[in-house]
Amino acid sequence: MVYKIIRLTDLNLEDNRFHFTLNPSDRRLLRSVSEIGVMQPVIVILRQNRPVLIDGWRRVEAARSCGLEQLPVLEIAEKTDDLAVFLLAFFENYGQRPFSLAEKSLAIRKFHDFELHPAEIIGRILPLLELPPERWMFELMLEVSQLEKRFLETIHHRDWKPVAVELLMKFTPAERDWLFSLLEKLTHGQQREVMERLYSLKRKTGKSLDQLAREERLAGLIARVLKGERAAVDDLLTVLRRVSSPLISRLNQAIAEEIRQIGLPERVRLDYDPSLEKRVLRLTLEAAEQGDLKRAVDSLADSLERGYWKRLFQLLGYEGE
Amino acid sequence: MVELRIKKVWVDRKVEADDFTRQLLDRLAGRPVEVVDSAEPVRETVRLSSDPVGESKQHLFITAQPSFIRPCPCTPGCLGCGYWTIDLDLNCPFDCSYCILQDYLGLQPLTVAVNREQLRGELEEFIRQGRSGLIRLGTGELADSLALDGLTQNSAFLMDIFRGREKLWLELKSKSGWTQSLRLLAPAENVVLAWSLNPQVVIDYEEKGTASLEERLQAAAEAVRQGHRVGFHFDPIIHYQGWREDYAQVVESIFRRIPLEAIAWVSLGSLRFPPGLLSLARRRFPESQIYEHEFIRSAEGKYRYPRPLRQWLYKEMAGMFAEFGAEGRLYLCMESVEVWQEFLDKIKRGRRNFAFPFPWQC
Repeated sequence: MVYKIIRLTDLNLEDNRFHFTLNPSDRRLLRSVSEIGVMQPVIVILRQNRPVLIDGWRRVEAARSCGLEQLPVLEIAEKTDDLAVFLLAFFENYGQRPFSLAEKSLAIRKFHDFELHPAEIIGRILPLLELPPERWMFELMLEVSQLEKRFLETIHHRDWKPVAVELLMKFTPAERDWLFSLLEKLTHGQQREVMERLYSLKRKTGKSLDQLAREERLAGLIARVLKGERAAVDDLLTVLRRVSSPLISRLNQAIAEEIRQIGLPERVRLDYDPSLEKRVLRLTLEAAEQGDLKRAVDSLADSLERGYWKRLFQLLGYEGE
Repeated sequence: MVELRIKKVWVDRKVEADDFTRQLLDRLAGRPVEVVDSAEPVRETVRLSSDPVGESKQHLFITAQPSFIRPCPCTPGCLGCGYWTIDLDLNCPFDCSYCILQDYLGLQPLTVAVNREQLRGELEEFIRQGRSGLIRLGTGELADSLALDGLTQNSAFLMDIFRGREKLWLELKSKSGWTQSLRLLAPAENVVLAWSLNPQVVIDYEEKGTASLEERLQAAAEAVRQGHRVGFHFDPIIHYQGWREDYAQVVESIFRRIPLEAIAWVSLGSLRFPPGLLSLARRRFPESQIYEHEFIRSAEGKYRYPRPLRQWLYKEMAGMFAEFGAEGRLYLCMESVEVWQEFLDKIKRGRRNFAFPFPWQC
């Protein structure tokens, strides 16, 4: 390994064969480079007589932004093969920060393209990346690495987990395009839930995502979400939950209506398990003096006599489809 | 039923010289054999397959187990039935889409323990611990009790060590049909041959490689003819359009062949699964629709049908059995106290556990 100072323009930045990280340069690095230049050499190797970057993409980006002309480099022996060089790039970054799933997929793609044997990738690299060392995961990562850059960047910046990415890959490429325009408007937690519910609906109904999105119950809400209406996201989720949990949603709606009919006295709170696993009600009553207590108890007794509670308990104990 | 398919036999070095190992290898002649220090090399091979779970069912690992008898873990928050498991074999060559072993066993290959003689001592110790009442034990929790029986003849071995031990009841639970090894078994009072049942349409779509409903019922009938007690398990009950008619037919088919007196017990349980199984099962069984049902996430973290639906399934099933006077044979598997309390209204409030014979049978 040889230390050198090279001209920035000598670097062949179009050759990104060793590049798998996605973090852009940040302001702090930019400030630092503008003050003192690049102190820590980047790592390069000669390919076709030009230095190709192995590690140090953020520093090079910062140096270019700051108009630096020269850069310190450590040059690896040219005879080193690409796989050995990529192992260096990989481990140089490995110790510094955890990789996002998008970066993991790009790293696995590189190992694959540099002809590291799949068994070696599965048995050695996947555990290093805290991924299940199984072929399906290897294949999934290869597939993910081929996604468009905007998808990879979302997966990277939103820190998607394997289960969410696996779900995404179950949609057709055309569906993914459409889905992404929707997901971009949602928070991380909402993204996963919307994907899961739409996927399940797609499987259950046998309809394409496009057909589902044009259904009356969803079309208007989706259009509002795509326009950026935040309130529409909650409405969309409510409808999707209702569609995937018809029984529980229906019962909860009926229970809410019964509670409304009862007209609970002030300072009386009624709770129940909305999953309906437990069929008991919990009543909480606040009273500052005896009179408060009497009014609340009388009111409850009155509503009991009028039979409102019977239907509520029937709903809580419902058995059926 | 699909023939047992073993691609390769792996022998744990510590049992390489064992007599039973030699017998198993003779029965498996023609398959490649490798001696290894643990199950890890098997897992390493299996995980290179695109379907590691499916692959794990085609590799047989011969080993020794440190112990065999464990209390059935049931599920936190559920009412236990006092069952004990005997883990002689691990994993199963059948491939049911709903099987939690896909997730639970973590690529464990089909595993046979050759140190089964140790079970005799464990049973003695188990009895010495002075448990009261009848205790049920079975080999069908982490494996199918009969799927590898042609190879291991564990059923004959187990019958032999349970015979005459009146307080210990052995259950051999399976989705296979009548097997050669069963033909040779002399019945015992305290041994129950049990079959898991589902309508044929569920078997076709969700229970790959298993015996047909007809084969299972014929096997049960044959077992009764030979003097065995039998049991049935409707677990998981799958809810779909037309489920009621299909399950009613299965129940009716039982009583067309099997006299009530020969039936020791029937369990009911509905589809439930840990979250980890969802993506795995969808990956392995893309055609299966059972995971697209309405579920709730229960307190213990599993997905289950909502309580109103579960309760209704059990009530309807109980009605079907009541038509044949058999509702007293029923019990629930991995259900909450609330559901138990509603079911047949026979469980005392607050009771957390019970054992066979169940209170309503006494």
